[in-house]
Amino acid sequence: MNDNKKLTLLDGATGTMIQAAGLKLGERPELFGMEHPDIVEQIHRAYVEAGSDIIYANTFGANAHKLAGLGHSVEEVISANIATARAAAGDRAKVALDIGPIGELMEPLGTLSFDEAYALFTEMLRAGERAGADLVVFETMTDLAEARAAVLAAKEQTSLPVWVTMSFEASGRTFTGTTVASMAVTLGGLGADALGINCSLGPDEIYPLIQEMLAWTDKPVIVKPNAGLPDPATGAYSMDAEMFARQMSRFPALGVTILGGCCGTTPEFIRALSTLAPDENAAARPALRRGVCSASHMTELKGVRVIGERINPTGKKRFQQALRERDLNYIMERAIEQADAGADILDINVGLPGIDEAEMMTQVVRAVQSVVDLPLQIDSSDPAAIEAGLRECAGRAIVNSVNAEAENLERVLPLVKKYGAAVVGLTMDKSGIPQTADARVALAERILDAAAAHGIPREDVLIDCLTLTISAQQEQAAETLRAVRTVHERLGLHCVLGVSNISFGLPTRAHVTVSFLTQAMLCGLDLPIVNPNQSEIMDAVFAFRALSGEDRDCARYIERFASAPSAPTAAPSSEMTLEAAILKGLKQETAQLTAALLETMTELEVINERLIPALDVVGEKYEKQEIFLPQLINAANAACAGFDLIKTRIASRGGESVSKGKIILATVEGDIHDIGKNIVRVVLENYGYQVLDLGRDVPVQSVVDAAVRENVSLVGLSALMTTTVDSMRRTIQALRASGHPCKVMVGGAVLTPEYAEQIGADYYARDAKASADIAKEVLG
Amino acid sequence: MQARLGEPDRDEILTYLGFHGRECPAELVGQLTECMRRVTEAARPRLVYRRLPLEGGEIRGLPLGGGDIRALLAPCREAVLLAVTLGGGVERLLMRSGVSDMGDAVIMDACASAAVESVCENFDADLRLALHGEGLYLTDRFSPGYGDLPLDCQSALCEALNAQRRIGLTVTETQILIPRKSVTAIMGIADTPQPLQRHGCGKCSLSATCPYRKEGAKCHE
Repeated sequence: MNDNKKLTLLDGATGTMIQAAGLKLGERPELFGMEHPDIVEQIHRAYVEAGSDIIYANTFGANAHKLAGLGHSVEEVISANIATARAAAGDRAKVALDIGPIGELMEPLGTLSFDEAYALFTEMLRAGERAGADLVVFETMTDLAEARAAVLAAKEQTSLPVWVTMSFEASGRTFTGTTVASMAVTLGGLGADALGINCSLGPDEIYPLIQEMLAWTDKPVIVKPNAGLPDPATGAYSMDAEMFARQMSRFPALGVTILGGCCGTTPEFIRALSTLAPDENAAARPALRRGVCSASHMTELKGVRVIGERINPTGKKRFQQALRERDLNYIMERAIEQADAGADILDINVGLPGIDEAEMMTQVVRAVQSVVDLPLQIDSSDPAAIEAGLRECAGRAIVNSVNAEAENLERVLPLVKKYGAAVVGLTMDKSGIPQTADARVALAERILDAAAAHGIPREDVLIDCLTLTISAQQEQAAETLRAVRTVHERLGLHCVLGVSNISFGLPTRAHVTVSFLTQAMLCGLDLPIVNPNQSEIMDAVFAFRALSGEDRDCARYIERFASAPSAPTAAPSSEMTLEAAILKGLKQETAQLTAALLETMTELEVINERLIPALDVVGEKYEKQEIFLPQLINAANAACAGFDLIKTRIASRGGESVSKGKIILATVEGDIHDIGKNIVRVVLENYGYQVLDLGRDVPVQSVVDAAVRENVSLVGLSALMTTTVDSMRRTIQALRASGHPCKVMVGGAVLTPEYAEQIGADYYARDAKASADIAKEVLG
Repeated sequence: MQARLGEPDRDEILTYLGFHGRECPAELVGQLTECMRRVTEAARPRLVYRRLPLEGGEIRGLPLGGGDIRALLAPCREAVLLAVTLGGGVERLLMRSGVSDMGDAVIMDACASAAVESVCENFDADLRLALHGEGLYLTDRFSPGYGDLPLDCQSALCEALNAQRRIGLTVTETQILIPRKSVTAIMGIADTPQPLQRHGCGKCSLSATCPYRKEGAKCHE
């Protein structure tokens, strides 16, 4: 479709021309096309005559969501509009099934799930392929998560070539924050056949963005700009065809081979482009930059990049408890903590006996992505969990890991290839970890060969030469370092290493860990898996980057240490009581004072005699309007620091968690306002209840299932909109119909006690304090 | 007309937080300032608007329910549709702070509400000024959910403004705008000054430089 001798010309705007031909406000262009095929065919024909090699059928918004209630099926609308395009194209041009955004934002910002988006795209794709489209173009995309769902649906459900263009602002980001680099790397990895930019800006404004894109992909690149920038009031474009062509003429020299126009362009613009030719002296495409990414953040694999290891239950009782209780908030907090500490990539491991690892992986990846924008490393030995993680990850991930066993490589590498991920190869096989560096390097080569056989480029194979504990096998530290040096120097591969294991079983481990880390980085370790919350470790990384020259002018080193506090924060003054610390919302002081109390009191005594009474005082002051919402929440947060300390102590000696009972909280289906629910969660947790926070936009059935599964006797539902109170009513109805005995409390801006009663709730919770009173009444 | 984010209004934020005219307690001043800074930093305010002719007080192809909007537009010759958003960055900031620190989350939520309101106010003032040149007058701003204007015209408004493509604003099936810190509104353009219920010169960002006030007049009744 895209030979190298000639540029491929696309069409120009269709929407603008349909509007000019009489489309009314509120009318769908795709239905207009069904009713007036002659007009639309005329528009297509004008583009074919102007020189378009590919025309986009009038199917941009023909998805089930946008066509709902309009009396025509997706199949009908797409086949009619493809037929119109075909008639105009004859054998002079190819016809693209044109697919734009669904029109609703995907999770986590919106409510559309990956599966729903996938199903909506699949319906359009199948109809388009049946109707005889030659390829599919996803265009004007602004959310990488949605574009991923689209490309996966196209690759899995059709055999059409897949092209994708997204719309960026001049800042180089889409409205949802997707960067040019993340788009190129992620969609290229999924196997899109051509990538580019459409709409958004004029050619000159797109030029630097295309330069950026070419640095990150070796796919054919598409440019389909607007006729300049629109007049903000009228939306009209003022650039003429000649100027457009002049601006477009700079692209072939960069290596761009597919050109067209978007809003404001006409057949005249395409005709003006037809004089352009590929540049025979086109600059050789630059050496590809490589990295792993989320939608909005690229971590280039260049220099030392820290992989945070804290999302992992191994040896962490408190984390295991969080997984068993599906306490995603705890896990999200660990993600934020590591991001704030300077991690570049987060490892995600949720393997625990008795847990459905694949399902949990999906949940955790989704949750983590909603609060941090770092790329992820999917850490599992279970192919189902690996695929679940890769499917959910809205960027380009690392798979951790494969080993050198043929069977393992055969199971995991196809997934790595399909999702375009990078992969960690452990230098071990059935017989274990070889004792010599040379033998480990040989296994690295075996992994590399297998990856190559699956079409995975060598740059994406990251080798882990494996750290052994010096308190058990002291001589192995040197072997690991030797292996790292050889893999780095001879094979030229990136090196991963779980560093902390080196000091296991030793006192004051940090000295050994940091020293080993520094030596390993000198040998070529560039992807250390460490605990970034340990400042000595990050200090060593910052120092290494300054010494290696990666940190130009030591700028980041200076930034880290020039503003560092000169002395550690002082312990709370002896006059400060726990009650005062909580009332003032002082987290650190509350934790320190709790720790001091625990020297003479039991955990339960501290909770019942000090923490809860302190919160009662705060609650009373709130009711008397002596303090207000932010102070109430700050106090609850401070108390949380005390509770966390207690929970960790109890979990670490394997005790049951302290809980006065379980409560489910959910923002109902269709509603995404969760601030009220989150406030209630913090307050209830502080009163010692275990809160199962199901999140926002929670389907009716999920609430019922959780209530039954966890045998919960109090459910709190929140809704903020008049339009979503009805899902609250339906949720209550379904809870009652399930026969599960439980009380329901409801809250939210539009509710009143009368309304609460009317929809069948047992309690109306005016505010967070009231919900704690209700919990006390129901659960004690 | 560009989206302009004004200096955040501290009193308005405190009102949203329930303080109702009381002073900000000393222990919150630092937190409030920091939250305002982070919201302002995360905000990428954008707006899209469109002037449409009215026929018999109605916009052709955009039926709007309720008597209130009809009354607002009755004396007008044109309608203005407006959509404003702070963008996805603020949305993500609120989600993240909802996990890491609910105290910050509550305050930032209020800051963001005040911020989106300030963008609307600034647009309002800019448009009034532009209309002054045409000898025309603007009505109050009216949003879905006000009075008897139903929430479910939200999608039609956004469609008419091509809001997803122009500013990245979408509507859920339950008529919630996403990003959440966004506003849609309708205004009328009339030949004569119109009564303003919600706003007056005191709140207008142009109050110091207003061409009407310089002439001893007002842009409203």
